[in-house]
Amino acid sequence: MQGRLSAWLVKHGLVHRSLGFDYQGIETLQIKPEDWYSIAVILYVYGYNYLRSQCAYDVAPGGLLASVYHLTRIECGVDQPEEVCIKVFAPRGNPRIPSVFWVWKSADFQERESYDMLGISYDNHPRLKRILMPESWIGWPLRKDYIAPNFYEIQDAH
Amino acid sequence: MAATSSYMASTKFSMLGWIGGKEELRKRRGFSVSAQQQAEIQESQEVKVQEQEQEQEKVKPQKKTQPRPVEPQVNVKSKNMGRDYGGQWLSSVTRHVRIYAAYIDPVTCAFDQTQTDKLTLILDPTNEFVWTTETCNMVYSYFQELVDHYEGAPLTEYTLRLIGSDIEHYIRKLLYDGEIKYNMNSRVLNFSMGKPRIIFNNDDQLQDVQ
Repeated sequence: MQGRLSAWLVKHGLVHRSLGFDYQGIETLQIKPEDWYSIAVILYVYGYNYLRSQCAYDVAPGGLLASVYHLTRIECGVDQPEEVCIKVFAPRGNPRIPSVFWVWKSADFQERESYDMLGISYDNHPRLKRILMPESWIGWPLRKDYIAPNFYEIQDAH
Repeated sequence: MAATSSYMASTKFSMLGWIGGKEELRKRRGFSVSAQQQAEIQESQEVKVQEQEQEQEKVKPQKKTQPRPVEPQVNVKSKNMGRDYGGQWLSSVTRHVRIYAAYIDPVTCAFDQTQTDKLTLILDPTNEFVWTTETCNMVYSYFQELVDHYEGAPLTEYTLRLIGSDIEHYIRKLLYDGEIKYNMNSRVLNFSMGKPRIIFNNDDQLQDVQ
């Protein structure tokens, strides 16, 4: 099953893998980290001018880390805009994914949050540092192998 | 990890000692620990520390890590670090344990931001528990033990938080063992470490009310 964008990418000889469609019928593609920046530029030129959301998750214990991008093509007078979901997987040992900050500026805080929670380092991000946790925090809290430190919290106050 | 701390508390932490406050009631407050940064100073300091240890051992031999008190230091007046900027101190603050990477003058309670090689513990500032000198010393020696244990770790909020949390757990353990008890005259009485246990004396029978 191949979607429109996948067919278009194949026509232009861009490497990707189709992951099917999600429950809303939005096409999902997997793209290699090393190709991601150039394909992001191509998608922007193609017309995806709106990064609707960026998030990241840990696929499996000891497995890959994924960074997910939802792109939308905003145009005048269109009530069903074209959408696509891009997933980029990075190895846990050295998770490096090119940042799309310079394509879609709204990726700024979201990539910082992904870095903070899962430790994916986004290359070329202008200020990649922790955003939710204190800067001296050790470890990546949303990874599946994270062990929370035994910090004292008030639990029994009445 | 993007830890930006440039301080390495890599060398020996030595105890700077806690200092009696103005009044007898506040006798347990400040308790400082230092991490020496230069090797030369460290050596001379170590000698002092050893002397102090020997003195202490004469006084009361214990198995636990002895807190190594220090003589009062000369305070440098802090600049741009007023009370309003309290959050900027490298610190770990929970209800019963406040650890600052600074020296706190025991009498005037003034902070010295330049002495970041010292850790100061302020124990239970809200007076939730009834403390005696012995129980204070237990906490202080545990603090010294932890500081010795974390020797070489980067001096960051995270490390301080680990130390502070361990002390809080230790205080909780003391409470559960019955070493300390809640201060019923404290301003806020919300039993933050669990409700107090009441031991009923079942041996005595209630007298019949005629």
